[in-house]
Amino acid sequence: MTREEVYERLNNVFREVLDDDSIELHDETVADDVDGWDSFEHINLVVGVEEEFGFKIPMGKVVTMKNVGEMVDIIMEMGK
Amino acid sequence: MVLITAGVAVYYILPKSWQWVELLLLSLIFYYFAATPYTIIYMVISTVIAYISTVWMSKLKAANRKPGLPLTITIAALALNILMWFVLKGREFWLPVARNMSWTSLVSMRLIAALGMGYYTLQVLGYIIDNYWGNVAPQRNPLKLFLFVIYFPQLTTGPISRYSQLETLYEKHKFQYQNIAFGAQRILWGFVKKIVLAERVGIIVSAITGNPELYQGFYSWIAILLYPLQMYADFSGCMDIVLGVSELFGIKLAENFRNPFFARTSQEFWQRWHITLGTWAKDYVLYPLLKSGIMVKFGKLTRKKFGRKTGKFLVNLVGMFVLWMVMGIWHGGYQYIVGVSLWYWVVLMLGDLLSPLFTKITGKLNMKTDSFGWHFFQSGRTYLIYAIGATFFNVGISGGLALLQDAGRVIVEKGYANLWIFFDHSILNLGITYVDINIIIFAVILLVLVAVLREKYGYARTWISNQSFLFRWGIWLGLFVFVLIWGKYGPGYDAAEFIYQGF
Repeated sequence: MTREEVYERLNNVFREVLDDDSIELHDETVADDVDGWDSFEHINLVVGVEEEFGFKIPMGKVVTMKNVGEMVDIIMEMGK
Repeated sequence: MVLITAGVAVYYILPKSWQWVELLLLSLIFYYFAATPYTIIYMVISTVIAYISTVWMSKLKAANRKPGLPLTITIAALALNILMWFVLKGREFWLPVARNMSWTSLVSMRLIAALGMGYYTLQVLGYIIDNYWGNVAPQRNPLKLFLFVIYFPQLTTGPISRYSQLETLYEKHKFQYQNIAFGAQRILWGFVKKIVLAERVGIIVSAITGNPELYQGFYSWIAILLYPLQMYADFSGCMDIVLGVSELFGIKLAENFRNPFFARTSQEFWQRWHITLGTWAKDYVLYPLLKSGIMVKFGKLTRKKFGRKTGKFLVNLVGMFVLWMVMGIWHGGYQYIVGVSLWYWVVLMLGDLLSPLFTKITGKLNMKTDSFGWHFFQSGRTYLIYAIGATFFNVGISGGLALLQDAGRVIVEKGYANLWIFFDHSILNLGITYVDINIIIFAVILLVLVAVLREKYGYARTWISNQSFLFRWGIWLGLFVFVLIWGKYGPGYDAAEFIYQGF
């Protein structure tokens, strides 16, 4: 899985969960940059990612990830 | 203060690898003076539990054996710590039960000054969970871990630190002029807020709430509206002192406040007020709860049945309820739970429910929602919502209801509006003088100035440190004299006494 592929699928997850087709994610994107990305949607996004990529993200990572780039790192790491 | 000055001097003379030992000793001395000495046994037990459980867990993980055991250990360690906290702090719940059972030994628990018990427990719980999650490596030196638990600046009032942030405790710290200067400035500023402002406002508030028959009408409004200011000046002033003291030792603690009264919504308010408690509850309570199988299923089910928006709202409803209940129980007492937790839960949920409607209205009216006036209105509204909740925190549920009812009568009942109290000398009966009122006004102006600087340029002190030498020193000396002359050192005044200490 390349980083670009991860981003493509991740964009779709975010667009679907947050119901906003204009979302375009980057490494530096943080919750404040995306409308509607609050604590509750954060978990929905994580669950969405888990379903899309087919593995569980450990709770410790859910809490510590700081931006989308780190989320992608985790996905690439877990998807190996 | 003498202890701290001497402590700082020794700290930078000592061999650097001994610095953390000195911090531990200082913490013990501080504890000895500030609390009932033998209660330290609870902190020792807590540290031992945390130490054994985390080291054991890491060994199991390294050997890759018994995959279920770490979770069991974590739960047991957390449960033990919570139980200990409950025995000490939870006496508000326990005591009535204990009395009925005439279980007198428990009553004596009340005598234990549970100084800051709440804060260190949260830190220890966070440490154990972080270990379980694999976010930190266990501390192998039990004394070092003990220092994390008992580190003196934050012991009584927080902030609630994460272990990963406080590992700087064990590092070597070189003497840096900036740390000393910034630390001292911050302490000074804390004293302005605490003993110049909060003490004075506190006199007014307690004069009114102490005599509800005597002071009615607009007096009730004064008490309701001033209490948040008193709380803020007291608690955030205390944080300035704590962070400043810690900075003297080269250790930066997490910020607990970010101009809360600039918040436009109650939700934003809680992201700016007591920040470390909020993020603690989010990471260790809310996220695990929402991510649990049951809640995920619940979310999917409600979304399917009621649609996306309502589904999300229902999940929100449950999650926030648990979160606020935990906060309420932690603060202790049903007064807080019912008056503050439930109040905010309802307000936040209503805000969630109504915000689309508000957006529609402001859109229809073509209002400029990014204008200063609108922001001011929103912040005022948020302040009022907080003031109402804080009233219960201040005087309890029945007292709070009475106060609010009385304040309400000003609006509905003709002749009840004793507006004249602002113009004749009535206010001077509240235990303060005109000079005090002027000082309060001046201090509030200072507070607003600093807040604006901070919102615009980061820290006010960074802005000040970029000014010319004379101007800089003028400001700090001025503040120093201000505190010296106008600080309220009443009889029996104790610098370590803060509203939040008991929690």
